[in-house]
Amino acid sequence: MSRLLFVLLALTPLFARAADLALVVDSADASLSVIDMAHQTELRRIPVLREPHHLMLSPDARSLLVGDSAGNEILFLDPRDFALQRRVPVADPYQIGFSPDGKFLVVNGLARAQVDIYDAASMKLVKRFPLASMPSHMAFAPDGSVVYVSLQGTDKLAAIDLHAMSVLWVVPVGHAPAGVLWLRGQVLVANMGQDDVSVLDPIDGHTLRRVKTGRGAHQLFLSPDGHTLYVNDRVDGTTVALDPVSLRELRVYKIPGGPDCIDFAPDGKLWITQRWLKRVAVLDPHTGEFHSIDVGRSPHGIFLTTDLAARG
Amino acid sequence: MDFDPFSLAAGWLQEHLVIPALYALDLMQWEDIGFGWALFAVYGAAQVVVTLAICWPLEHWRPVERWADRRAEWVDVLYTLIARVGFLPLITFVLFYQLQVWMNGWLTDHGWVPPTLERLLPFLLGRQVLTFAIYVVILDFAEYVRHRLSHRLRWWYALHALHHAQRQMTFWSDDRNHLLDELIAFSWFTAVALLIGIPPLQFPLAVLLLRLIESLSHANARIGFGWLGDRLLVSPRFHRAHHGVLAAGQRSCNYGAILPWWDMLFGTADFGRDYARTGDPKADERLATGSYWQQQAVGLKRMLGA
Repeated sequence: MSRLLFVLLALTPLFARAADLALVVDSADASLSVIDMAHQTELRRIPVLREPHHLMLSPDARSLLVGDSAGNEILFLDPRDFALQRRVPVADPYQIGFSPDGKFLVVNGLARAQVDIYDAASMKLVKRFPLASMPSHMAFAPDGSVVYVSLQGTDKLAAIDLHAMSVLWVVPVGHAPAGVLWLRGQVLVANMGQDDVSVLDPIDGHTLRRVKTGRGAHQLFLSPDGHTLYVNDRVDGTTVALDPVSLRELRVYKIPGGPDCIDFAPDGKLWITQRWLKRVAVLDPHTGEFHSIDVGRSPHGIFLTTDLAARG
Repeated sequence: MDFDPFSLAAGWLQEHLVIPALYALDLMQWEDIGFGWALFAVYGAAQVVVTLAICWPLEHWRPVERWADRRAEWVDVLYTLIARVGFLPLITFVLFYQLQVWMNGWLTDHGWVPPTLERLLPFLLGRQVLTFAIYVVILDFAEYVRHRLSHRLRWWYALHALHHAQRQMTFWSDDRNHLLDELIAFSWFTAVALLIGIPPLQFPLAVLLLRLIESLSHANARIGFGWLGDRLLVSPRFHRAHHGVLAAGQRSCNYGAILPWWDMLFGTADFGRDYARTGDPKADERLATGSYWQQQAVGLKRMLGA
């Protein structure tokens, strides 16, 4: 009997499903926090060079890219267990994003006021666009032809044609624009210096309307089912749920500590980084209740390994 | 996982004071940098409190000198608050951050890997305390060289004399420096920090650590660390010899900020002087007892005339 038990125990790891993990980028701690999603506790920290901010899954889902802006490198991690695959020197990779066709990696250098377009396969720099100033967030047209970049320092939004490799237009939006999202044929920009989101025509960038959310509107996220648009407001400390069609406010959640990035868990909960509290809030959007998990200083980007299953 | 009261205090400051202020002033694009300042303001304020808690009892326990009128100290308190909590940490962080980003980005663009100790010695990655200690030793050596030059060069000492003019030297006197002298010192420190690749967030911490020990070394306290201790860390006894009336001017001794090793190595150490009277007999009286702005004006005039 005891021998049978021993054999069963020995075989258990072979059949055990890998634990679901969350990776949180601790911008002011030069580290990445790894969280056990089931137990909602921090398991370990991965040291990085200087100041990581954002992350992005590669189109083939084989690598998770983390940009270390002050470290001037992008880390390629295994998205299942976050083991380091390789490090690539890249100047000031603050925000990173793959074009929907997977051809280009766009790198926003916020401190260096530049947008770099890399060939995603070879990681060779294709073109640099010096853009004044502080390029922070980005969104792509679904066909991958255009990337829209918010210019936080000059209150503008730039559209870059990725086929012609030229700037299509640069238009004024609200103050200190941050998050950008393509939604139903329109471009949405969160105005962090205001309390609203600008809705723009992607063709010429003219403002169609503005939607009030909360002071310090910073980031926009569409839920995986496409039924809810969430906007994080840094000054008010709120996550506002909007109807993605009408942009009508559905509900306001109070999330203190400067809510920033969101990832969505399969159970419907929102994992939200709280920049000034060293925590990640796990919010149940149905009840409105949340609890927080301690991580490193200034948690910014977040990735849940459950995203991999969703990608198939 | 870890309790970090500094981060929590900085977070509170950021959320309740800095962010609403930036929003009201239409400066929200600087909100990330604002958190860096909040952190250093908290560290700076904590450092002033720690310095006060350590040095004030020491100065009352074993004072070198007793003064009936202590008004000359108040201007040094003002220098300290400006240097550690307010304006200077903000400028230090913002300037250093921007400079490092530009320099390292330029190097990366040209196929160079920006210098960092962790790249040179990979085992240091993730060992932030050890890495920080090595950076501090290198920066302390740079401070020794700068300090020695500030005495050696006539125009520079004309500015630096403001620091030496104080006859009532206390732990508040460390930050008593001409703004231009501070600017030169900052540029020097920054250039070295950039060359060795210290992380932006560790940079002001290194400044604060150096300043904490330097505050202690300026204390009006009859304290030495013993024969061996005085040779390991700069003590109030060791540094007081540097501020003695006979050591004021271009030929001084004991220039070290936190480690006396550099003085021992380059033959400028003097362990023999015991608690000398401080001040610079040749300096303008206004540098000793004038107001903050009088001291700034006289210092500048002396430099231009040197």
